[in-house]
Amino acid sequence: MTKQDIRQQIEGYAEIQAEIEVLRKYAHDRRADRGTVDRVINLLHPKELKLTVSEIIEETASSKTFRLISADGYLPPFQAGQYINIFVNLAGIRSSRPYSIASSPSQTAYYDVTVRRVEDGFVSNYLLDEVTIGNSLTSTSPAGLFYYNPLFHGNNLVFLAGGSGITPFMSMIREVTDRGLDRNITLIYGSRDPDDMIFKDELEDRAQRHGNFTFIPVISEPPPSYSGHTGFITAELMQKLLDDVKDRMFYVCGPEEMYTFCLPELDKLGMPKKRVRQEVFGPPKDITMEAGWPSEVKKDDTFEVQIRGGKTIPARADEPLMISLERAGITIPTSCRSGECSLCRTKLLSGEVFQPRGVKVRKSDRQFGYIHACMAYPLKDLEIML
Amino acid sequence: MPDYDVIVIGAGNGGLTASASLAKRGAKVLLLERHNLPGGCATSFIRGRFEFEVALHQLSGLGTPEQPGPLRGLLGQLAVLDKIEFTEEDTLYRTMVPGEFEVTLKADRTEIIAALKEKFPDEADAIDKFFDLVWEFCMQMVSIFFMRDPEASREKYPIYCKYAIKSSKEVLDDYFKSPFLKLAIASYWGYVGLPPSRLTFMDMAMLLWAYTEFKPFHIKGGSQALSNAILDTFIKAGGYPRFNCGAKKIIISDGKVKGVITETGEEITCDYVVSNASTISTYMEMLDEKYVPDDKLKMLGSRSVGPSGFTIYCGLDCEPQDLGIDVSTQFISLNTDIERQFASWRTFDRPEMCGMSCYDVADPDFSPAGACQVAVINLQFADHWLTIPPSQYADVKYRYAQALLDIVEKVYPGFGDALEEVDVSSPITHLRYLGHPGGGFYGFEKFAKDSNLFIPPTSGIDGLYFAGAWAGMAGFQPTLESGVSAAKAIYRKMNK
Ligand SMILES: Cc1cc2nc3c(=O)[nH]c(=O)nc-3n(C[C@H](O)[C@H](O)[C@H](O)COP(=O)(O)OP(=O)(O)OC[C@H]3O[C@@H](n4cnc5c(N)ncnc54)[C@H](O)[C@@H]3O)c2cc1C
Ligand SMILES: Cc1cc2nc3c(=O)[nH]c(=O)nc-3n(C[C@H](O)[C@H](O)[C@H](O)COP(=O)(O)OP(=O)(O)OC[C@H]3O[C@@H](n4cnc5c(N)ncnc54)[C@H](O)[C@@H]3O)c2cc1C
Ligand code: FES
Repeated sequence: MTKQDIRQQIEGYAEIQAEIEVLRKYAHDRRADRGTVDRVINLLHPKELKLTVSEIIEETASSKTFRLISADGYLPPFQAGQYINIFVNLAGIRSSRPYSIASSPSQTAYYDVTVRRVEDGFVSNYLLDEVTIGNSLTSTSPAGLFYYNPLFHGNNLVFLAGGSGITPFMSMIREVTDRGLDRNITLIYGSRDPDDMIFKDELEDRAQRHGNFTFIPVISEPPPSYSGHTGFITAELMQKLLDDVKDRMFYVCGPEEMYTFCLPELDKLGMPKKRVRQEVFGPPKDITMEAGWPSEVKKDDTFEVQIRGGKTIPARADEPLMISLERAGITIPTSCRSGECSLCRTKLLSGEVFQPRGVKVRKSDRQFGYIHACMAYPLKDLEIML
Repeated sequence: MPDYDVIVIGAGNGGLTASASLAKRGAKVLLLERHNLPGGCATSFIRGRFEFEVALHQLSGLGTPEQPGPLRGLLGQLAVLDKIEFTEEDTLYRTMVPGEFEVTLKADRTEIIAALKEKFPDEADAIDKFFDLVWEFCMQMVSIFFMRDPEASREKYPIYCKYAIKSSKEVLDDYFKSPFLKLAIASYWGYVGLPPSRLTFMDMAMLLWAYTEFKPFHIKGGSQALSNAILDTFIKAGGYPRFNCGAKKIIISDGKVKGVITETGEEITCDYVVSNASTISTYMEMLDEKYVPDDKLKMLGSRSVGPSGFTIYCGLDCEPQDLGIDVSTQFISLNTDIERQFASWRTFDRPEMCGMSCYDVADPDFSPAGACQVAVINLQFADHWLTIPPSQYADVKYRYAQALLDIVEKVYPGFGDALEEVDVSSPITHLRYLGHPGGGFYGFEKFAKDSNLFIPPTSGIDGLYFAGAWAGMAGFQPTLESGVSAAKAIYRKMNK
């Protein structure tokens, strides 16, 4: 006897066969559902956004806000604190930089991104100096992990901002105050100079109108007549400003130096890891200063990177591999450019790279030789697979 | 000459084992995956200092080196056993109704029986008889299907024939009185996604038997380590993977598979395609309508998309024992009414049950020192999620998650205070990352009519094969096996 036979001898077999006949007779027509999966995905996470610059607002001497509207009709929702990665084609190179959305998520008619000039910066200077109203841009859809999570953040939030690091907080502050959400926010905003504080007027205004939002500027190089808080954001200052730090959730966003300074201060306050959220900040200014960088490799050492099945390109030791690839006309998927999102995950077949601490490479990815190209610096000649 | 012998669409479990088996046998294989890494469900993601396991709560079928299960042999042949490590759980699960009932079942038949008898002394006899039935049933099933007894018949295998597609509820009601006892024995119902009234006895018995005999396992580094290891075998055997590159169309000519068109419009030729994408999208989106056999259209329309799930990935800043968590796998129900719990998978109503896995109980190195990881899960169908306006999605997600965390808090007070990192996945998340209708990670629902007793394994199209949960049973072990089967079928045909 064959297996087929025993199947038919199972009790209830005939009844199920009959049921199947009926179900097939009245089958749902799946042709009607075509495209559903893509439609659902595109409502929340379209692959690419086509944007038009609809307004440009001068914020301070060094920064502007670009109001971006959709060129094809739809901007997906986001959580206050998320960013988009904006692509540019510049000097024959296609590259990108992430910018936090500063506008409130309560509307998605537009996204505001506020860009501050970075000396010698490739993209910020282009956006500030060349982009005009009506220009087109493309970007990823909103992404990132620096946002409020009601499941464990609580209702008492302290934001530590520095420089352009105010942008994600601006979105959160706008959302909470506009929608009247039940959250208390204290913003401690460090700046060198009181006149170069992005959103200063709006922040003062919102603080005045909303009892649950407190705005505290801290100026590191104050003019002689300045009467507010001065210096840096120290544990002592925070202790003084916040009566009880214990039940607070701290969020930190700013330039590299801000983390090196503020995180130890939060330690001094006794804040456990679970009470501190930090935004990523991209490649460090000088990778050779990072802990663990091998001293024998010099800044301007250049290595060869062979791409399996493709060309061989040069790569400087002090530049992330992703930039060397972009210089050679090769773009790989990217969103955070900070080692966090893993979109640029690339297989290293041979050679060695340096990935600073904090780059979020999975354990087994390390074992099997995957790197995050946006934060991987070549230390030898490499062979990679894209 | 076509560009490749075989193109495999999708690098989930089924796609990975299909690719690796074929490449190891010398076929020229291209593996296309729309996402940026391999695994499908079998993956992980990092938040803070935690690497969250996406899908694997308990790996079945592996067995110990001394008493190997079918999966151990399969992974050995794919040369992945020596690349990764597994941790054995000594317990199947703990079933709890907070404040009312609790029992822990070890992965050992004698101990399970003893634990149940201790709680239900009145039903001691029935417990013995029931476990005799389950074991006898499974032994008969093994002889018929795994040993392929050529003389299988109803006379020779009466237990199998009597019970295979009976409803589990009918059998449980026959044997037992206490609803708590029935709940404890049927606790794995969520692994198939059907309540006892719909769950075949065959599925319930096999789960209990297989997890007991072959033990539940976790993987060091999570299921991503397994996916990476299989891909590594594939690459070393000369296979070519391409990520961020979905398949859009399957080209047919003269009634045979001729190639694949990618989402960027590139046309690549081949003789065979293995699809690890859902059968719905393979037939309805990738094939031209004129090539879809009528009976396949009817088959697709007569079956319903199975559940997806809702998981809260929790990173805690304490060791499991600090909260009193001492077993890896727990099922917490607020009542004993599984039918009602199943019905709630179609609503945003307050959930009445959840599963909870703590990975650091069996493997203290899973998370950094002083920390541990817990996944809290309840299954959910996608339909009601698809009706939420995108702008409200986040709010709805958090509300549902909070309701689940409230259940956990009842059993483990202080759980909420220990949270250091939390992320949540919903049916929409699974739909996005897998590309499957309804985010269904079990494929179609698994009623009796959906078992391979009734569904023919062939695609109806020359050169097209399937691997994965949509074309067979769901879960790690079955989907890993399905890829190897597809590879064997192709290999046989290539060498004719
Ligand atoms: C999540 C996230 C959100 C952000 N949000 C905002 C925002 O809202 N607003 C905002 O203004 N910025 C934001 N940024 C920063 C922004 O993405 C850019 O990094 C910034 O605009 C500078 O880009 P750039 O191209 O002008 O500078 P880059 O060309 O990237 O240069 C940055 C610095 O690196 C140095 N540098 C450049 N090239 C090299 C090299 N090859 N080797 C060594 N050093 C080099 C430059 O001299 C300069 O000091 C955000 C970053 C992240 C990661
Ligand atoms: C939260 C959760 C918990 C689970 N718990 C367990 C458990 O404890 N034990 C257990 O055994 N099982 C469990 N499962 C089930 C198990 O993970 C799945 O059944 C199994 O992994 C499915 O494998 P698959 O081969 O069907 O492929 P899938 O994982 O479904 O992957 C399909 C792949 O195909 C890709 N793809 C789809 N369309 C295309 C296209 N057009 N082009 C290219 N690529 C495409 C997708 O991106 C994906 O990578 C769980 C699943 C989830 C999500
Ligand atoms: S682009 Fe996000 S990790 Fe590299």
